[in-house]
Amino acid sequence: MGRKKKKASKPWCWYCNREFDDEKILIQHQKAKHFKCHICHKKLYTGPGLSIHCMQVHKEAIDKVPNSLPNRSNIEIEIYGMEGIPPEDIKEHERQKTGGGKASDSDDDEPAAKKKATSALLGPGPSSVTPGILPTPMGPVPPGMYPGPMAMNPMMPHFMQQRMMMPGMRPLFPAASIAVSTPSKPTFPAYSNATISAPPTTSSAAADAKENGDVKPPAANSCPLVTATGAGSKIIHPPEDVSLEEIRARNIKYRPKPKPDAPSTPVSAPPMITPSTSQAEHNFQVAAHMSAAVAAARQQQAAAMRRPMPMGMMGMLGQVRVPVPVSMPVPVLPVMPQFNLMRPLQPGMLLPGGMMPMSAMFPGGVPGLPMMQPRFR
Amino acid sequence: MFSGNNPHKDVEVSSPPDDTVSALEFSPPSVPQTFLAAGSWDCQVRCWEVEASGKTVPKAAQNMTGPILDVAWHDDGSKIFMASTDKSVKCWDLASNTAVQVAAHDGPVQTCHWVKAPNYTCLMTASWDKTLKFWDTRSAVPIMAIHLSERCYCADVDYPMAAVGLADRGVCLYSLEGKPAEVKRVESPLKYQHRCIAIFKDKKTKQPTGFALGSVEGRVAIQYVNPTNPKDNFTFKCHRSAGTTGGYQDIYAVNDIAFHPVHGTLATVGSDGSFSFWDKDARTKLKSFESLEQSLTNCAFNHSGQIFAYAMGYDWSKGHEHYNPAKKNFIYLRPCFEDLKPRST
Repeated sequence: MGRKKKKASKPWCWYCNREFDDEKILIQHQKAKHFKCHICHKKLYTGPGLSIHCMQVHKEAIDKVPNSLPNRSNIEIEIYGMEGIPPEDIKEHERQKTGGGKASDSDDDEPAAKKKATSALLGPGPSSVTPGILPTPMGPVPPGMYPGPMAMNPMMPHFMQQRMMMPGMRPLFPAASIAVSTPSKPTFPAYSNATISAPPTTSSAAADAKENGDVKPPAANSCPLVTATGAGSKIIHPPEDVSLEEIRARNIKYRPKPKPDAPSTPVSAPPMITPSTSQAEHNFQVAAHMSAAVAAARQQQAAAMRRPMPMGMMGMLGQVRVPVPVSMPVPVLPVMPQFNLMRPLQPGMLLPGGMMPMSAMFPGGVPGLPMMQPRFR
Repeated sequence: MFSGNNPHKDVEVSSPPDDTVSALEFSPPSVPQTFLAAGSWDCQVRCWEVEASGKTVPKAAQNMTGPILDVAWHDDGSKIFMASTDKSVKCWDLASNTAVQVAAHDGPVQTCHWVKAPNYTCLMTASWDKTLKFWDTRSAVPIMAIHLSERCYCADVDYPMAAVGLADRGVCLYSLEGKPAEVKRVESPLKYQHRCIAIFKDKKTKQPTGFALGSVEGRVAIQYVNPTNPKDNFTFKCHRSAGTTGGYQDIYAVNDIAFHPVHGTLATVGSDGSFSFWDKDARTKLKSFESLEQSLTNCAFNHSGQIFAYAMGYDWSKGHEHYNPAKKNFIYLRPCFEDLKPRST
C-alpha cells in the first residue's frame, strides 16, 4: 500500500499517460515521441515549439501532438516534463493512481526505457501486426489530415490507443481491463500499464463511439482483439474486434448528415437543396456524377419529405445530439451540416487549420461560436 | 472502357460509385431486363441496366444522409430498399424515383432484406442497436422486433429461412413461415469475427437447408441447419497469401459470399482483392483468380446465374491510413455460368 503512494508521485507524460522513474527520462521521452518533427526529425522542446517549427521551417500546420492520446493531443498547451500539466489532469491522475490503480502497477519498477528495448525483440503476438496497418482510434480525424507523424512513428501510442478502446468498454475498472489487455502485455509492458491507468481517454473513446450511433464493442469476456493464433500468420484486420464497417463509420467523413426533416421544421426548407449545404456536401463528399438523375431525385426526395411522416421524427430524435438544441430555430438549420462536422472534434483538439477556415464554416451568423472554447477562435 | 487494370478482362460497370461499394444486388427474375443496384460509402445507391452485351447504362441514383450499408430489391423489381448508417431504411420507388423512409433503428442499419411469403410480405432489418425488426413499410412501427444478443454483422434471407450473424459470433436462425420466429441459435464454428453469411438450398428439395459463414480470418464455414451427419458441417480456408511475406502468412477477411442460383456452387470475395469459386458438395475449389489491386468488398450473381458481379474498393482492413481517396472504385461483370458448374455431373 505504501508502494502505491510512491507511484503516485512518479513523473508521467501528459500526452500518453506513461509513467517514468525520472523526470529527465520523461523529458527525453517527450522530445523523442511527442515533440519530434516528422519531417526533419528535429527534437523540439514543447508542443507549441513543434508547431511553430513546422509552420516556419516546413510550412506545414500541425494540429495534434504526435503519438498522443486522443484527448491529450492539444498542441497549444505548453508542457515540459511535468510542468504545465493542467491541474485538473494532475488531480485526475493522482486519483486514478490511488483509487483504482491497484491492478495497473504490477511490474514497472524496471526503467521503462529498458523494457522497450527488449520488447522490440519479442516475437509474434500482437506485434505481428505491421505497424503500417495499425488503425488509429481517432475516428473523427479524416485521413490525410495528419499524415506525417503517423507514418513516421507508428509503433506506439497509436497502437496503444487502439488497445485502449477495449478497456473503455469496461469503464474505469482496471481489474477487468487488465484481463482484456493481457494479450498486449508481452509487447509493450510499460505501455500497457500506462494504458490502463488512463480513464479520461478511454471514456472519451467510448463516448466517441457512442456519439456515432455505435454500440459499445463487446465486454471483456468475448475476445476483443483480432490476432492470429498461429505464430506464422497475421490477420489483415485492425486489432480491435469490431467490424470494418463500424470502424469506418467512426470516421468523420462518414458521419451521417443531420436529417433534413427535423422535428422543429417539419415542412419547410429542406436544407438538402439549399445552396449553402450543397456546398458543404461538396466539400466532404465527392460530387455526384449522375447529376441529372440526382437533381431529379433530390427534388422528388424533397417532395417526399414534405409528406407528414411520423417516422422522420423518430429518426431525427436520434440524430440531434448534445451541442445542437432540439429547439433550434429554423434559419440556423442550413448551417447544421457544417456544425455537425465540428462536433466530433474534442475540446482539446485544434481545428485542422488550413483545411476549413472559420469564415467558410459559418458563412453567416456564426451560431456555434459561443459554445466553443476560446482556442477555437 | 478503361478496364486495363483488371487482369481478368472483366467488363467494367460505367460511372462507378465515388467511394467503396458496400452492397451489390441484381434485380429479381420478375423484371425482364437485368438491373444492378449498388450502395456505397458515398451515401448513394446507384442503379444500372445491364444489357446482354455486358454494357451498363446508369439509370438513376438516390442519396441518403449516411453511408449505405445494404440494399435489397422488392420482389417485383419496382423498388429498392436502402439501409444506412443514418439509422434508417428508405424505400426507393424506381418508377417515380422517390424515396420514403420505411424503417428506423437506434443505430446504423447493417442489413435489409425483402421477405416474400405466400401470405405476407415484409422488410427485415437488422442493426448495430442489437435488434432485428420486421416492417410492413406502411407503418412507422415495426410488425415485430426481436432483441439480439449482440450487434448484427451480417444477415441473409431465403424464404422461409433467415440467418443473422452477430458480433458475439452467434448465428440466429429464424423461420419466417406464418410469422417470424427464432428457430435456434447456433454457436459459431468459426473462431473469429463474422463478416458475411449466405443461405444455401438443398439440391433436391430446393428449400433452404443451411448457410455459409465467412469470417475475418480467411475462413468459411458450411453449416447445415439439421445435418444428417455431423460431418456434413465443415470449414475451409480461403483468401490467404500463398507464400509467406516476411515470415508471415497474410490472412484476409472474407468480405462476401454468394451462391450460384442454378448450380448451388458458391463464390467468395476477400480483402486480398481476389475472388474464388467453390463447390461445397465436392469440397473443392472450382477456380481462383489472381488478386486485384484493392480489396473486393461485395459480389452477386444475377438471377439466371449468367453474370457474376464484384466490387473493388478499399475496405478499411488496413486501417484508415491506407485509404487513398484517389484510387477509383470499380464494379466488374464476368460471364460465369460455365466456371461455376460442378465438375462431376
